[in-house]
Amino acid sequence: MKPSALWIIIALCWAYTSHAQEAPAVEELLQRFDQLYESTGTHARLEIEIVRPNKTRTMRLQLWSKGPDKALIVVEAPVRDAGTATLKVDNNLWNYLPKIDRTIRVPPSLMMGAWMGSDLSNDDLVKESSYMEDYTATLKGAVLDPAGWQVDLAAKEGVAGLWQRIEVVFSQDRQLPVLSRYYDRKGRLARTMRLGQVEQIGGRLVPLEISIEPAREQGQRTLLRYVHIEFDIELDESLFSLAHLERRR
Amino acid sequence: MGSTWRIAWRNLGRSRKRTALACAAIALGQFAFLASAAIMHGYAEQYLRSVTGPLVGHIQAHAQGWREEQAVEKALEEVGDMLAAIRCQPQVLQASPRVYAPVLVALDREASMGMVVGIDPAVETGVGGLLYGVEVAELKTARRVWVGRGFARQQGIATGAELAVIGQDLDGSIASELYEVAGVIASPVEIVDRVGIVMAIDDARALLRLGEAAHEIIVHLRNPDAVAQMAVQLAALEELGAAEVKPWYEVVPQFAGIIELMDIYTLFILVIVFLAAAAGIANTMLMSVFERQRELGMLLALGCGPGRLAQIVAAEAICLGLLGVALGTALGLAFAGATADAGFDFVALAGEQSFEVGYQGLQISSRVFPILKTADVLEGVGAVLLTAFASCLWPLLHIARLEPMEAMRP
Repeated sequence: MKPSALWIIIALCWAYTSHAQEAPAVEELLQRFDQLYESTGTHARLEIEIVRPNKTRTMRLQLWSKGPDKALIVVEAPVRDAGTATLKVDNNLWNYLPKIDRTIRVPPSLMMGAWMGSDLSNDDLVKESSYMEDYTATLKGAVLDPAGWQVDLAAKEGVAGLWQRIEVVFSQDRQLPVLSRYYDRKGRLARTMRLGQVEQIGGRLVPLEISIEPAREQGQRTLLRYVHIEFDIELDESLFSLAHLERRR
Repeated sequence: MGSTWRIAWRNLGRSRKRTALACAAIALGQFAFLASAAIMHGYAEQYLRSVTGPLVGHIQAHAQGWREEQAVEKALEEVGDMLAAIRCQPQVLQASPRVYAPVLVALDREASMGMVVGIDPAVETGVGGLLYGVEVAELKTARRVWVGRGFARQQGIATGAELAVIGQDLDGSIASELYEVAGVIASPVEIVDRVGIVMAIDDARALLRLGEAAHEIIVHLRNPDAVAQMAVQLAALEELGAAEVKPWYEVVPQFAGIIELMDIYTLFILVIVFLAAAAGIANTMLMSVFERQRELGMLLALGCGPGRLAQIVAAEAICLGLLGVALGTALGLAFAGATADAGFDFVALAGEQSFEVGYQGLQISSRVFPILKTADVLEGVGAVLLTAFASCLWPLLHIARLEPMEAMRP
């Protein structure tokens, strides 16, 4: 090989690798994390597997959401919980309980409480907090386990919430979140969330499996699977009303 | 020997004002000691009664890990067998099972945090029970609850209202039920008063799908002094299996610490008061000896030995001490007698309104009922005698060194 050709190849390799490792904009990554499943009208069917040391419970849900502020989740199975529904409008969260035919507003203090005995919090489901707005983000750089870009999020002062900081790793190729570690207000690792099985749906890449493992409870895990999801569909405003929530029965 | 005491007694009458003053100082010391000891015992008893009363009991049994997490699923199984085995013990006065669960409580759409307390009404309305003295016949009816007074006031809950109670059952599913409010209860247990939704244990078990399980067994003993031994005995019962059995002072060690601190405080007062008394007696005896120096010299010249003189002076000091301590004890007994029934309230004395404070789930009143123990009186008398003897050592030393000729010189 002639020296000039060798130099061209080296230069091309350098150009390729430097392009591949160019750090993405933090804001762009966070916006993607915030709006992963968000659209003008989203409908999804999900399965949630709640693993506990002595038993495993599976639930089936249907979810409708409109933008970041409106969401409705209805439990379809198991039979004992069927009909239980959660409605989120702006900062308010209501639970409809079919057994007693009552709708109860969840106090804001319970927003970080567990939802239906899972390792998900009420906030995880309705996403009241925004990574973009509530945290200060810093790009830590490339990491190996898992391979990707790590962004560290530190809770802004005065923001009420469960997490002091969150570490999110975005995949290098698709720049999608693959792992996030949540640290509580005492700085201890509280849970690890893994996102996988990425598929192209409605023109966007979305992870269809999310697993959440609490750090301090051995043998506990919650696995959430999107069985079906569609984006940007027409949804009637009345779907997200208390009247509809209670009429559904 | 009899003449020694007679002479000592007469000598005390020589300067009646000085004797009266010294007596008053000792009496005041003994009174201050007895009064503070009685108040401290009263507070200690109140704390102990609050702690080992309805909330904590003398001994508790839980499933392993419940005390740390208080999770619904950390419950004792086969509670019926456990209760039967515990109640069989002759030292056990009562054993009561309880169920606890954090819940949302709502009259309408707005919910607030509450705590379901599932109890056995037949047991808990008895002595030492969570609802002692409360008429809860209606609680035995299914789906009726009693609401803590503080909680009812805060949430505007009245008798007859329909309450929605929402929690999480043993499997993690949402537990929800409607209950009629049978009444509002004023409980000395803060958690009941502030957030308590008290219901029959069977209702609580049905709500949480607990079967026959319970989160806690509270044991009251006939003799509270046998706590340590009984905790070991109960833990060894086969029926209790791997349950965690703890005496009250391990459940709330901070209270055991407070009670120990009170004993130390009482001892501290005893030392301070009697150091002051010692100074008073020593001063009186020294003055008395110096005043009578010529007389003592004369007695020595007449053949009375220094030992005999020392006996007379020591007897004087002891008579003075006993006189003072008798007066102080009488005052202390009168104080304890006058305040034993009605109690004694520092806050009311200062012109403020009496109060009850909540601490670690217990209600503690500012009113105290002083308790005077025989041991306190004996400690006081013993301390005065010791003080009287110690404080006349200096005068005795002075007498021992007296030269008759020197002493008689004007």
